[in-house]
Amino acid sequence: MTNSFVWARAIAIAKKEVFHIMRDPFTLALALVMPIFMVVIYGIAIDFNVKNIHLAVSDSDQSQSSRRLIETFGSSCYFIPFSAGSPVNTLADIEAENARASLIIPPRFEKDLLAGRSARVQILVDGADNSAVGSINGYVGAIQTRAAKNIAGFDPPAPYELRTRFLFNPELNSRWFVIPGLTVVVMAILSILLTALTVAREWENGSMELLLSTPVQPLEIIIGKLTPYGVLGIIAVTFVFVIARVGFGVPFVGNIFVFGAGCLLFLVTYLAQGLLISVTTRKQMVAMQFAMLTGFLPSQLLSGFVFPVSAMPPFFRYFTMIFPARWFMEISRDTFLKGSNVFDLWLPFCALTFLCVFMIRRATQKFKRDLEP
Amino acid sequence: MNKTLIGFVRKELTQTLRDPRMKFMLFMMPMVQMTLFGVAISNEVKNMRLAAVFDSKDYVMRDVYERSLAGGWFVPAKSSGESDPFRLIQSGNADAVLIAPQGGFTRGLGRGDAPLQLLVNATNVTQAQAVENYLRQIVQTTVMNDLNIKAPESPIQFDTRILYNPSLETAVFMVPGVMCTLMVMTTMMLAMVAIVREKEMGTFETLISAPVSATEVIYGKTIPYVILGMVNLPLVLSVAVFIFKVPMRGSLLVLCLAAFAFVCTSVATGTLISTYCKNQQQANLASFLFMFPAMMFSGLMFPIENMPWSIRWMAYFDPLAHYMGLLRNIMLKGGGFQYVALHIGVLALMAVVLTRLSFRRFHTTLQ
Repeated sequence: MTNSFVWARAIAIAKKEVFHIMRDPFTLALALVMPIFMVVIYGIAIDFNVKNIHLAVSDSDQSQSSRRLIETFGSSCYFIPFSAGSPVNTLADIEAENARASLIIPPRFEKDLLAGRSARVQILVDGADNSAVGSINGYVGAIQTRAAKNIAGFDPPAPYELRTRFLFNPELNSRWFVIPGLTVVVMAILSILLTALTVAREWENGSMELLLSTPVQPLEIIIGKLTPYGVLGIIAVTFVFVIARVGFGVPFVGNIFVFGAGCLLFLVTYLAQGLLISVTTRKQMVAMQFAMLTGFLPSQLLSGFVFPVSAMPPFFRYFTMIFPARWFMEISRDTFLKGSNVFDLWLPFCALTFLCVFMIRRATQKFKRDLEP
Repeated sequence: MNKTLIGFVRKELTQTLRDPRMKFMLFMMPMVQMTLFGVAISNEVKNMRLAAVFDSKDYVMRDVYERSLAGGWFVPAKSSGESDPFRLIQSGNADAVLIAPQGGFTRGLGRGDAPLQLLVNATNVTQAQAVENYLRQIVQTTVMNDLNIKAPESPIQFDTRILYNPSLETAVFMVPGVMCTLMVMTTMMLAMVAIVREKEMGTFETLISAPVSATEVIYGKTIPYVILGMVNLPLVLSVAVFIFKVPMRGSLLVLCLAAFAFVCTSVATGTLISTYCKNQQQANLASFLFMFPAMMFSGLMFPIENMPWSIRWMAYFDPLAHYMGLLRNIMLKGGGFQYVALHIGVLALMAVVLTRLSFRRFHTTLQ
């Protein structure tokens, strides 16, 4: 090869790719509409604090105290009590998904209470939905204390006081947790999926061979094909960022340049990974499955987006390190909410840089080897 | 079933299973993924990094700290030269910091005013709340224990029992969810790509000119994927039951029926989407546009009950949500007749409507 890298040719390929994108309604929708849709829907929909828990009540006591106990549940604004009749019925209600929990008050409740014995009630919680059980248990504990105080006037003085400060998210707003994570998911999907498909398509159509017989250099092809998707990714992230700040009032206390640097590193890594997938598979159907498997699912399930990495078994805590999404998730959340600086985030940045260099090397090597026999 | 149709189905199956990579993707991958995700992901709180700021003579405080670490929820925070507790959390070296009051917690207890401070990193809301609750309990029991006070018993006692999954095994809850996601991915996408590929290669026109009716073409293109989806069911189900010990309390037959209704819906969705796509890339992206909201409204990651009604209604149109509910209900609770019948009915209705719609689309485009 005598001719060297020429920008004009890379730009020409990029232009052609832009036409491709503009022509295809699905690509455009995926790239521009979906990020907005996702942030809005997620922002409105997601609330980890379980509310409106339907509580099937069986009150066999029918006394003033038992009614006040039910009221205490109802006024907590977490539970919606409804009368279910016999204790067996409450169980049937849980089975039929009409209730998440049930409260069973035995006939001697008030008598026990007045006699100074401890009055016991039973609470059944639907364990089929783990995510709700933790919250329900917490609420029930708080309600017990309140009920003891209101109904029986039981309020022992505590010898100490625990003052909790919830840092970085004092109102415990789930959105502040979810939306910064969304930037990662959005970018992951866009970059890996689109590149994997677009390059695989050229192989499948045979136009890659055609391209190669022209004086265009492999590096020019790569840069030309990937730049438009990189730009799309950046636009999508900007959308998400603006909606997060303006629409949902998520704070951004960190340094925007740190966040931006993380974005770029992550984007390039995933573009390279998409390229690697498409060069290896060369078929859109297989490339799609691989992109789903190595890009989409890990970025949602193994990155700490919803399920914390710290809760994984030891093997997986190390295993997740190979996913760029896990590192960028840390950078995104910490710069948004905690205002961490580069030195606090040295580990994620180092890891991301390493993965980025590794992916680019692998992708270009594979690409070149396949092209230059 | 007539002969043409059987031949068609057989051709389609051979074509799909010809590629060894496809066979691997179809039969091995769901099992591998289920094992991976079933083991890996959970909502539990574990390995939170806890730091405590206290004097060496403050023995109650030391007890609190040691007890917290012994419980398995916490690990000691990374020691860095940092002395400011806020910076300790901000730099990511700790998730929670306990700070003893001036003069020590032990002495504060003696005086009767001992504000113990707890700083929690609340970026993850649920975790932060769980950590606070847990530490509150630990401080309570430690103080009672160390000061030899018997806590006065509350006159109202709640006996809480957790049904179906008393030890709160995450896998029992997660695995049916993951199973559902994997089944939709294989069946819907395969059916869709199979149809679009024919369109792209122009072989669809050839098929039409052959002496087969449009109905036979459509059934021939979809039935194989329903079969493949159903073949997948025992595989993923055995991973769930034998590896993850997810209980199977309901009837296997009912579960198969639910799975069948779901696979039909999923294949029909794929078929309908495929009528709008010109090439494989569009099909892949479109399947993505469907999968994303479908996963979100399925209840796998976020509880549907928490969503406001303005968007919650969408969950009722999500086949994944119905199937996920069915799987959990049948496997964990044994499947109440009313619930199961209702949701299988909804799935079946969806399948019928979607099939009719895609038939109509096909007829208009083909003839």
